[in-house]
Amino acid sequence: MEVQQGGAPAPAAELVVSLREFTLSDADAEAFMSWASDPRVVRFQRRDAYEHVDQARRYIADHVLPHPWYRAICAGAGAPLPVVGSISVKPGPAEDGRLFRASVGYRVAHAHWGRGVATRAVRAAAEAVFAAWPWLLRLEAVADVENPASQRVLEKAGFVREGVLRKYILLKGRPRDMVMFSIVVDADTDRRRQQNKPDGP
Amino acid sequence: MAEEVTIRRFELSDMDAMMAWASDPQVAAFCRWEPYASTGPLLAFLRDTVLPHPWFRAICVSGAVVGAVSVSPTPERCRGELGYVLARAHWGKGVATATVRRALRDVFAELEPEGLRRVEALVDVGNPASQRVAEKAGFRREGELRRHYWHKGRARDMVMYSFLSSDPLPE
Repeated sequence: MEVQQGGAPAPAAELVVSLREFTLSDADAEAFMSWASDPRVVRFQRRDAYEHVDQARRYIADHVLPHPWYRAICAGAGAPLPVVGSISVKPGPAEDGRLFRASVGYRVAHAHWGRGVATRAVRAAAEAVFAAWPWLLRLEAVADVENPASQRVLEKAGFVREGVLRKYILLKGRPRDMVMFSIVVDADTDRRRQQNKPDGP
Repeated sequence: MAEEVTIRRFELSDMDAMMAWASDPQVAAFCRWEPYASTGPLLAFLRDTVLPHPWFRAICVSGAVVGAVSVSPTPERCRGELGYVLARAHWGKGVATATVRRALRDVFAELEPEGLRRVEALVDVGNPASQRVAEKAGFRREGELRRHYWHKGRARDMVMYSFLSSDPLPE
């Protein structure tokens, strides 16, 4: 056991998380089911849990592949890395025909919770879209008030908490209070105004 | 206040009264539109946007039309966005606050059956007068949404306020 000088614990083994595009393969549809059919994961999503892999197959074909920015989250061990979740960034809404903001959402299979997968995925997605979309000034995300794990992910990924918006979004037909988070480009400096958090889960 | 504030549906004949505030650059400064220079575009706005709108009302003081108040749809069925505009002659007399209170009562009575639960107001961080109107009308200040709103060529920081159908309605 290492003797530590400071208060920080010994670092965990490096967790590899990468993002890639989805395919129409059976493997991707089955991986998708690992979170899309799980009530614990869909609890804070608009959609009900999927019951059959055909629903995942159809969703990947009709919604994921044409989407402006939708990625599979790959994490763990092995080559290729297994797909353990998904993350998407939706541009808009536009105002006066102008795009300047986008919103990010993500889902991770329950077996892979609590290891920093979502945090790394959100950080990687934010870096990618700010680089890919020069018009992007605000990247926002919401988390249900009853989902503190997701709130922690967003904070650790560098998002700034802006407040609780009451009865803001309908989830499964019920209006929910949501915590709003964002990373913005500073108007004066063109630099990103975000929380700087040390690396780690 | 001495004069009575009421709200009612717009009519085409209200156009001249609308021109009084629609042409005023000081009024337009915090609105999303540029001051109107002629009646043609204003008539088109009244006919094509105001009359078919789900909830757009004229603000009347002692029977004269002095402004407009609206609650507009958003991407979520449960929430609507408040907007209002008032002729400069009637600023600073409590007309906007009285208007918003009446609007909240009427809009929830009419649209809660259709799913409306939240009326939100986004006020520029540089507009303290409008922030006070929201606060006096009983809205809850929820936070500042940074670079959230496109306004005349810039992405602005806005204060987010909300009033729920379950919040106690002001008198």
